[in-house]
Amino acid sequence: MKRDRKRQRRPEEGIALLIAIFVLLLISVVAIALLVSSGTETALGANYRASSTVYYAALAGLEEARGRLLPKNPNYLGLSVPALVYGTTLPLGQAVYVLNQLPSETIVPWDSSDKYYDNEYQREFGVAPSSNSSVTSVWDNNVQGIPGPTFKWVRINAVTEQSLYLDINHSGSYNSSTPIFYDLAHLDSSGNPWPSLIESPSPPSTAVQALELTALAYLPNGSQKFLQYLVAPIALNLNPPSALTMSGNNVTFSVPSSSSFWVNGNDQFSVGSCAPGPNPIVGVGYTNNGDASQSNITTAIPSGNNSHFTGYGGTTPNVSYVGGVGGLAANLQSVSGLDSLVQTITQNADVTISGPATQNDMPSAMSATNPMTIVVNGDLTFNGWHGVGYGILLVTGTFTYDPDASWNGIVLVIGKGIIYSYQGGTGQFNGAVFLATTVDGSGNPLPPGSPLGSPSFDFTSGSGGNGVYYSSCWVKYVQTPMTYKVLSFHEIPQS
Amino acid sequence: MEMMIATVIFLLLCSAAFALLSVAQQRYQTESQVLNSFQEARFGLDEIIRDVNGSGYPPKNSFSFNLGPPPANDYASTPVAWAPGYVSNTPCVIDSGTGVICTTPGNFDLIIERDVDPWRHDGVEWTRYQLQGTLLARAQTWKVSGGDPDATTSPAFVPYVQNVMNNASPTQIAQFKAVYPQMFPGGNPVPIFSYICPNATPPPASIACPLAGSYNSPVNITDVEITLIVMAPTQDAQSGLPRLIELHGRGHSLNPIQ
Repeated sequence: MKRDRKRQRRPEEGIALLIAIFVLLLISVVAIALLVSSGTETALGANYRASSTVYYAALAGLEEARGRLLPKNPNYLGLSVPALVYGTTLPLGQAVYVLNQLPSETIVPWDSSDKYYDNEYQREFGVAPSSNSSVTSVWDNNVQGIPGPTFKWVRINAVTEQSLYLDINHSGSYNSSTPIFYDLAHLDSSGNPWPSLIESPSPPSTAVQALELTALAYLPNGSQKFLQYLVAPIALNLNPPSALTMSGNNVTFSVPSSSSFWVNGNDQFSVGSCAPGPNPIVGVGYTNNGDASQSNITTAIPSGNNSHFTGYGGTTPNVSYVGGVGGLAANLQSVSGLDSLVQTITQNADVTISGPATQNDMPSAMSATNPMTIVVNGDLTFNGWHGVGYGILLVTGTFTYDPDASWNGIVLVIGKGIIYSYQGGTGQFNGAVFLATTVDGSGNPLPPGSPLGSPSFDFTSGSGGNGVYYSSCWVKYVQTPMTYKVLSFHEIPQS
Repeated sequence: MEMMIATVIFLLLCSAAFALLSVAQQRYQTESQVLNSFQEARFGLDEIIRDVNGSGYPPKNSFSFNLGPPPANDYASTPVAWAPGYVSNTPCVIDSGTGVICTTPGNFDLIIERDVDPWRHDGVEWTRYQLQGTLLARAQTWKVSGGDPDATTSPAFVPYVQNVMNNASPTQIAQFKAVYPQMFPGGNPVPIFSYICPNATPPPASIACPLAGSYNSPVNITDVEITLIVMAPTQDAQSGLPRLIELHGRGHSLNPIQ
């Protein structure tokens, strides 16, 4: 009986375990399938994120370095690296690194054992830099302690044809010893304007050095990217042909009878290390020699004061046509060119003020050591202000000037093109003054291709002031670069 | 009796597990295909963006022209090459405007001009993307001095991204919209490439090239917006509906306009 019971139970033994194991297996298969699926999705998302992040991190590094090359930047690189001071030529072989380190991380890009070694320099120049220096990034975690873009360093250096691998002058060879410049006034072989890179051991005064910026960005997962800019400083490059320039047609002109009023084209006033040059420019310049501009100007000058209007050539009164070759730049004689200039200045202004404005709206930070670019959109009135302005002043409306005040730099009255003065004083303009009318009588913008209107220099006979004195040093000093233009950009392929 | 109950439970559990597995497998197959399409499209999109970002390198004014012009394939004379009129250097207009309408660049055709790897020192390349049916094809050739980018790149196409549905037929678009109402606005094909140019009459400073007035030209393209709509090779295993994904990207040429 006992044996029979055992025989009956035997087929059922362990079936529950088998079922349990089988079900477990099935569930496991399903679970694994789901895991694999979601894992693939995660990996795809992560790869894309890494690719984008590292690109924009490197771009952020380039933009930081480009911005910090500007003298106006509070973190101006020239403050800590003398070779990067604007106007200085960065020697070949010198590499300046902007480092962006993580906490407790030390990056030495010129050390071949460093994780972030800069092997790109060697590839471009064939040799290591002869000297290296570094500054920290504004994002540097060791200084700021805040997370920022994940670029590791940006290198700033001069370039040659060989390092760029560009035969810039089409000579058939790659020069490795001459730094490359960018010349806005360069002419091609046919004599046509061709702003471009140039290779010359003695670049013209219109040329500025082209600098190469190279950024390395690196992510913890190993993604890395090299991006490269070639940049050059771009200033307004205003070279007035006359101390007082009136661009347009049938200009109107009146000047005080006061003997203290001058329009003087002789170069004067030192600024810093800049000394005035020996070459005068025209006193009063006009751009249409086929209308009444010249007679309007000359007849307005009191005969007893003819000698107070002096400049190039020594004739008195020194009033000359400056609209031809070698005179005022063509873009400053057209509505579209002047509109473009106003737009450029406005985009890069330190301060933009909506008119009507007064001297109270002038920025207090403006000083001889901190000249500023100030744009007044509308009318500006100085009245009873005994201060001095420094920089570029652009007024699009009427500029009512009280000669109690002085201005060192460039005064541009473009728009209504009217400067008016009726009061007395002992102030003066040191630098250059430029007038042009680009709006009609109702204040509407003139069409781009239409002739310019009639600018007006209206100092009443009873007004005073010392007038306008040309100063090449002030003209140059206030024209610090507005930007470092990107001349070219490319991603360096990783081998 | 005990055996019978166990067997029934076992069978029930088995059927439930198999049913679940079947659903999971179908889901997995569909998702795998969608992911493959996504991966392929994402890779393609990244490459196009990278090409656009580097377009126009090296710019023409990298050369001084002191001794006359260098060979035209040493530099990129435009970020985006065009047809017709490239050889005679007469830019066409994009989509609409005064002048000859471009055949490329267009909604489904783009030729980028750039030196992909300056260190190879082999000159500038033309990289072309063109939608052929539902295949986005890619071609890359050397820039030929005096050559026509359209004719030069045409024989060099290779498959790049498959099942691109941006230019689907009206019937297909109607089917897609039933599942994805947000896709294909207005029931129209969706351009893969849209172009941004400086505005001739700002503001805004930049605008779609066809609205850019006198700046509507391939030589003035600063940005290319890219939209890729890709369909999985097979329909959803459960619902039988098409599975689509839409990817967006934007490339910005940092090289200056010539």
